[in-house]
Amino acid sequence: MEVTFKDVSLSYDGSREILHHLNFTIPEGTLVSILGPSGCGKSTTLMMISGLLAPTSGQIFFGDEDVTKQDALQRKVGMVFQNYALYPHLNVLDNIMFPLKMAKVPKPERKKKAIELAKLVHIEDQLDKKPGSLSGGQQQRVAIARALAKEPSLLLLDEPLSNLDARLRIEMRQEIRRIQQETGVTTIFVTHDQDEALHISDHIMVLNSGQIQQFSSAETLYDNPSNLFVAQFIGEPVINTLDIADFGDELKGQIDTELLKRTQKVGIRPEALQDHDTGAETLATITTKVKTFEKFGREKNALLDFNGKRLLTTEIEAEIAEGQELPLYLQKSGFYLFDQDGTRIFGGDQDA
Amino acid sequence: MKRKTAIILRYVILILGAIIMLMPFLWMISTSLKTQPETVKIPPIWIPKHLMFSNYVDALKEAPFFRYFINSVVVTSLTTVGQLFTSILAAFAFSRLNFYGKNILFVIFLGTMMVPGEMLIIPNFVTLSQLHLVNTYGALIIPWLASFFTVFTLRQTFQSVPDQIYYAAKIDGASDWHYLWHVLVPISKSTITAVTVLQVIGSWNAFMWPLIVTNTENLRTLPVGLQAFTSDAGTNYALLMAASTFVIIPMVVLYVFLQKYIIAGISKTGLKG
Repeated sequence: MEVTFKDVSLSYDGSREILHHLNFTIPEGTLVSILGPSGCGKSTTLMMISGLLAPTSGQIFFGDEDVTKQDALQRKVGMVFQNYALYPHLNVLDNIMFPLKMAKVPKPERKKKAIELAKLVHIEDQLDKKPGSLSGGQQQRVAIARALAKEPSLLLLDEPLSNLDARLRIEMRQEIRRIQQETGVTTIFVTHDQDEALHISDHIMVLNSGQIQQFSSAETLYDNPSNLFVAQFIGEPVINTLDIADFGDELKGQIDTELLKRTQKVGIRPEALQDHDTGAETLATITTKVKTFEKFGREKNALLDFNGKRLLTTEIEAEIAEGQELPLYLQKSGFYLFDQDGTRIFGGDQDA
Repeated sequence: MKRKTAIILRYVILILGAIIMLMPFLWMISTSLKTQPETVKIPPIWIPKHLMFSNYVDALKEAPFFRYFINSVVVTSLTTVGQLFTSILAAFAFSRLNFYGKNILFVIFLGTMMVPGEMLIIPNFVTLSQLHLVNTYGALIIPWLASFFTVFTLRQTFQSVPDQIYYAAKIDGASDWHYLWHVLVPISKSTITAVTVLQVIGSWNAFMWPLIVTNTENLRTLPVGLQAFTSDAGTNYALLMAASTFVIIPMVVLYVFLQKYIIAGISKTGLKG
């Protein structure tokens, strides 16, 4: 089911807005992540899609149908909660059958469907157990099966992996991807973990302080961040951020003077600082001093001093000593200029 | 060594407590097997010379105990079921629904728990007499169909159920009504069992109220019926104790089987029934 928000706002007390004029369309059959720091409104957005929470203004559409006034019951969505919210008094099979029981599906059919789903999520050998005796990953699987039981128009997942340990998290996110692809259900996944979002989704919506910062594919988010927030939020290690005033004449002549005048902040990805000239790819050269250099496995992180500011690069090929001077070659890709509102005015595909 | 002493001391105290608790029961059983003169003998005797099991037969002949027993069963089950039903609905409203004046109403109800039950006897009696309910089953049942103690206890339990379970049930297509009976009540099973048992015991043992609002033999409950052994000429203690033993047996059995829930339910709310 395609989901559309038209100018949706929410405020709890009527004066302070939590979400500001959200406009977006989630295409049918895709897996979309809503990504943002805690308190940005991502779970609230999910609650509004589910119908557990009504918007203060604006309209929500499922396909062509306006569902703004419908509650959770009528919208027929499936949802997985952060702590799974399984019914502790029911065993696995009864948990999965619960939505079907509420929908008054006859018992034999209920059971058949539930067992089918248990197989899909690989939990068919635990049917008689109570949720309390299952591991976190197993509870997660049950919660997904239960959410899928009534063949929902949408599957909503609210930080479903945050209670799992690191290894299980990776396994379960692949599982969620597999289940989504097998069932083809439109899935919306809320997370604060960029790694999760980048690996699992077709599209990512980055949310901050109740506003959509950018809604695009993972690649576009990284290569063409629409503003400083997205540039800083996406990417590991974090992008180097400098004031334009930190530069002397290094950028003059390379970039349009008018553009430089409007620039407030400069963003440089750690991989955009090379220690050798790359010819046409090189935008400018800067002189830095090596502060620390660490090698660990495949990782090589050099921390450098540039006019009193710290820069991080991952691209040092040669052996370098701490304290030595080092010229660095700024690459075109991974170099961005942002104006005083934080909007990107230079860099990305348009200037490659 | 020191730990061992502590353990011994602990058990000595527990055993003393147990003896003190059991004394009245043992005295009751002992007396029920005595002859009439033995019951008033000084110094008191614990083990009668001849065990008078015939007392039990005589006691049951003395009054229509079968009728009393039926009355007790009817009154206890109807008050318990009715009270549980109203309390579950009220507890759900107080824990999950939002309505105008919810908190004030709750505080007022809480205040009623501070009023001693004896103080309510006269106003309740007046109310019932104006409704022409005195000396009917209604008088024995209707005043006990609501209990704020039960509402309060259940509300505490209902509130400890996470919000997400409620949201999950909503997403799964459950209405509030379905959520209450299919999810919340089963989850709160142990508390519900505890308040049920407390109510059953309280209702079964009730003496003052049934005595006041009924005056025909047909409506007597067991505790009131025990008066049959007290006359102007004195009390026949042996028969009274024999009948009392019959009366408390169902409650003792109930307690033995459900003590786990009773203790859990009481310690959870920090209240006694």
